[in-house]
Amino acid sequence: MDIISAHDLVVGYGRTEILRGLDFAVPEGRITAVVGVSGSGKSTLLKTLAGLLPPLSGGFDFAGRPVNYRSEASLRLLFEQIGVLYQGGALLNSLSLFENVALPIRMQHPKMPEDMVRDMVFASLAQVELAGSADKYPAHLSGGMTKRGALARALVLDPDVVFCDEPSSGLDPITSALLDDLLIRLKETFGMTLVVVTHEIRSIERVADRVLLINDGGLRFSGDYADLAAADDAFIRTFFLRKDSHDDA
Amino acid sequence: MSDTVLLPKRLRAAEVVVALKDIGRRVESGPVTIDFRDVEEFDSSTLALLNYVRDRLTNVTTVNIGGALARAAESFVSRPPAVEPELPRSGNAAGRALTAIADRFIFQMRSLGRFLAMLGDEVYHVGVYLKERKGVYPGETWNQMFFMGYRSFPIVCLLIFLVGITISITSAEQLRLFGADIYLADLVGIAMLKELVPLMTGVILAGKVGAAITAELASMTVLEEVDALRTMGVVPEKFLMVPRLLAITLVVPLLVAMADVVGIFGGIVVARATFGTPPSAFIAEMVTAVDWTDFGWGLIKTVVFGWTVVVGSGFKGLTVGRSAEEVGRATTESVVLSITLIILIDCIFAFILY
Ligand SMILES: Nc1ncnc2c1ncn2[C@@H]1O[C@H](COP(=O)(O)OP(=O)(O)O)[C@@H](O)[C@H]1O
Ligand SMILES: [Mg+2]
Repeated sequence: MDIISAHDLVVGYGRTEILRGLDFAVPEGRITAVVGVSGSGKSTLLKTLAGLLPPLSGGFDFAGRPVNYRSEASLRLLFEQIGVLYQGGALLNSLSLFENVALPIRMQHPKMPEDMVRDMVFASLAQVELAGSADKYPAHLSGGMTKRGALARALVLDPDVVFCDEPSSGLDPITSALLDDLLIRLKETFGMTLVVVTHEIRSIERVADRVLLINDGGLRFSGDYADLAAADDAFIRTFFLRKDSHDDA
Repeated sequence: MSDTVLLPKRLRAAEVVVALKDIGRRVESGPVTIDFRDVEEFDSSTLALLNYVRDRLTNVTTVNIGGALARAAESFVSRPPAVEPELPRSGNAAGRALTAIADRFIFQMRSLGRFLAMLGDEVYHVGVYLKERKGVYPGETWNQMFFMGYRSFPIVCLLIFLVGITISITSAEQLRLFGADIYLADLVGIAMLKELVPLMTGVILAGKVGAAITAELASMTVLEEVDALRTMGVVPEKFLMVPRLLAITLVVPLLVAMADVVGIFGGIVVARATFGTPPSAFIAEMVTAVDWTDFGWGLIKTVVFGWTVVVGSGFKGLTVGRSAEEVGRATTESVVLSITLIILIDCIFAFILY
């Protein structure tokens, strides 16, 4: 089953088209890696799929229903089904980690009893192993903790799909590997669908079931990670060449 | 008859500038021949000069360009043509300027449109919030009130007191000439309640509160915190703006009342010191000239200014670009925008009220 499917999707800003003619599908319960060099439009695509940036033309279905940017109800439905981990975490600085994670609950379900809110927040924080830091403020969290805290916030209302924009950017290799493990665990234990933007070959190798490779304003490859190696394409070779040199080292 | 300019042996930037001036002057009165015979020492400015006179000056002939210079000139000339900045392609400079102005105007009008749309949305969000009590972080209005009051109370009081003293001293001098000492009370009362307190408070709010709002919201926008709110199903224009608008609405009356008292107190101090008017007489005289309506209008004006500041600075913050540098620029622009709007609105009030 595909949870997202795009048809002739064009994404960009105002009159500037960044990616054209996108046709792809994101399978449910899998990790799909969106791959491409810096500035190729990965974040732009993610923003469009997350309901933040209207497509310039074409469109996409989410969970079997077309997403209509002109309808507030359609966007609200989309927002209820997704969680987003932003590149810098994007936790609100004025709130403690606990309150940051509680925020989506408080906003969506203002009547929820405080005890339940606490349980949900701590369950989510425990998943990312941050229950002990609930009272800290974002300014006092390390880069890796910020990312995990932001992930806890994205997970707290049990979304069907989690979008992650470069989860390992700015992290050391070990922390970034731990974060990748966390993503894999979410997939395996909760059957969650993840769309992960990354340009780290190692990370792709670790987590990706499917790959959307972006290049030159369009989709260069869309398919299983396993088929990627077999693809006879100069760009793909160059892009993944770094992998070989890593392996040699 | 042709005028000849003999260029010096050393022809580098300094000499090139002198020569160019000379050539320019002579060209006006007829054809000019430029003689390079003596030139030995040259650099890129020399080559640029050569290019310049060949391309731009029609009446000029260049002669005796030596081997080294000629070779250098050739490779210099063959460099890629400078890329003209891409401007709307209409024929002449005036046309281009007009297009640029028109583009700028359209951009400004669009911003104005978006600003007014936002103002409308905010009124709607505040209304819906007051009815449903949803979509805003609990307790945030109190935080904002405390923050705004804390930032603006001391400075508003200090500045209004000083302004009260200043206008009193300035007017006292004039009033003394007519022996109209006691009317200082009327003057200070009217000026403070109706004009100075609203205007000064508005401007101080623009600088202290507005700038802080823009800086905060702009950095939240750049750090994707605003996007994060949206994908949590929160409406940022409501979540971020409603508490600030409610807070300013509640803080302004306190500010105005305080500022009115302090400003008038400044007048009392001056009246006492220069004319020996007792405070009780000052106040007794003042209340013959001003009443609660004046206080009320001053208050309404200040609330309108406060809303202008919050919506204007919120608008600037939420429409910031995507780089960190733009946060600073948005903040400056926000203060200018707020003050401009305040003065504009004050002017409109003046027409309505008098
Ligand atoms: N808000 C914006 N407005 C206009 N252009 C943008 C905006 N954000 C990004 N871009 C441009 O879109 C292109 C793709 O950016 P992005 O999606 O962030 O790349 P990636 O995430 O792959 O590094 C870049 O050329 C960038 O300059
Ligand atoms: Mg990006």
